[in-house]
Amino acid sequence: MLPRLKTMSNAERYPFVSSDTTLGEAGFRPYLPFTLVHQQISVTASGLLDTGASVNVLPYLIGGELGYDWERQTTALSLTGNLAQYEARVVLVQAVVGQFEPVRLVFAWTQATNVPLILGQVNFFMEFNVCFYRSQLEFAVNPKASASE
Amino acid sequence: MVSAELISTLRDLNRADKFYIMQFLISELAQQETDLVKSGLSYPVWSPYDATEAADTMLKVLHAAKTQDHE
Repeated sequence: MLPRLKTMSNAERYPFVSSDTTLGEAGFRPYLPFTLVHQQISVTASGLLDTGASVNVLPYLIGGELGYDWERQTTALSLTGNLAQYEARVVLVQAVVGQFEPVRLVFAWTQATNVPLILGQVNFFMEFNVCFYRSQLEFAVNPKASASE
Repeated sequence: MVSAELISTLRDLNRADKFYIMQFLISELAQQETDLVKSGLSYPVWSPYDATEAADTMLKVLHAAKTQDHE
């Protein structure tokens, strides 16, 4: 018998956001507003919750805003799909979601500029439990620590 | 814009015609959804699916950083 999952009582709920008004209801996406912090620099961003993405992806310009120097990031990555044509390197960033404690996220910092900031399996979905209520155009986010309490 | 005249006309329809109108509208809506994706255009998919090597490398960097924090 499967263990009963606990409800996400401490979760914060967010609305789906329309990325293209011409698409009507089909244009809504689960974008999570959050803050990225590196050293003394913080950047407010919107991350696309993408359960199919293996990794988090940081667009080039946001990495630059956070003060990362491309040449100093020595761990190179090979990404897949449309991102395969761009170089990518590993960066570690503190992330603050809502009122929750900061967590460390690992990103594939890509040289692509027209890509959304993607929150994927490694390691956003390892740090946060997320429940999608697409029919209500909402999703709920809860850090793993409070979910297991 | 839906006019009062149209509503009145719809209200006067018999039961079978009302069902027909309902099916017609549902079919129209479904067709519009299909039309959102235009043939001949390319739509980039940015998701790094199955990027298992990258995921493994990133987890190793993350674990190394955590280990360093505890030292």
